[in-house]
Amino acid sequence: MTPRLIEVRKNVLKKNDELARSLRDRFHQAEVRVVSLVSSPGSGKTALLEKILTLLSKTHRVAALVGDLATENDAVRLARSGVPVRQIVTGTVCHLEAQMVETALDGWSLDDLDILFIENVGNLVCPASYDLGEDLRLVLLSVTEGEDKPLKYPTIFNTADVAVLTKIDLAAAVEFDLEAAMRNIEAVRPGMKVLATSAKTGEGLDDLLALIKAGR
Amino acid sequence: MHELSIAMSIVEIACEEAGRQGAGPVDEVHLKMGKDSGVVSDALLFSWELACEGTRAEGARLLIDHQPGRDLQVSAIVVLVDNDTAPH
Repeated sequence: MTPRLIEVRKNVLKKNDELARSLRDRFHQAEVRVVSLVSSPGSGKTALLEKILTLLSKTHRVAALVGDLATENDAVRLARSGVPVRQIVTGTVCHLEAQMVETALDGWSLDDLDILFIENVGNLVCPASYDLGEDLRLVLLSVTEGEDKPLKYPTIFNTADVAVLTKIDLAAAVEFDLEAAMRNIEAVRPGMKVLATSAKTGEGLDDLLALIKAGR
Repeated sequence: MHELSIAMSIVEIACEEAGRQGAGPVDEVHLKMGKDSGVVSDALLFSWELACEGTRAEGARLLIDHQPGRDLQVSAIVVLVDNDTAPH
């Protein structure tokens, strides 16, 4: 047997990237704005999204997909807002992929939607590798997690569009250093837009909603 | 930990290519890994053997070339071909 070198040059995530591109085309054709949320578990994705869905459903046709390893708890919570919600149970998979989004959309008419939310599995590592076809990716960082998360997980901040600080109402109680957090985000992603929010008090939600709607 | 599924995708690409070329077992897989690809090379190497098991890449070495950027690309493979079919 003789060794022979074969040039391959194939992107490992090509399948996902291609599917994400076709999803993005479908979303644009149907004029649906798609916003995804990524963060570590327990950062308040679902609480924030529940609030956003409730507020936005008064003026827009919204829906949400929510990913978790197990249970439909988050979908049940989000459904309280009265908008269509579907749970994506990933089993052992630590992130959402474009294929899962496509499958979960089955039977929904995109023409009947203005804004679609995708809540990723709580994880600051793996979701960074997978494009889901979204227009806007929000990375959430709760004040209880500490200011240095962006330094520890730079990739997720590099693949997101906007950083959203959550639970800002608890900032004083946990001695959260806002300036340090802003500095750290700026260090890993210069120029990144940062919004400080609280799903509980409503702080910062107007700015966040404006960003989500972006002309819609 | 999504490295096992990444490893399996790499094996799939390598085996497909080897199959297309009518080659024998895969001996090496060369991977270009971007710093921002979101993949951890230690975890990928840890999953590698398991991902190769039972495929024509069983026992193959994974060689990682670290680069800037987000790309994750199988750049080349080394396959073993029968001596009588190898070009001289």
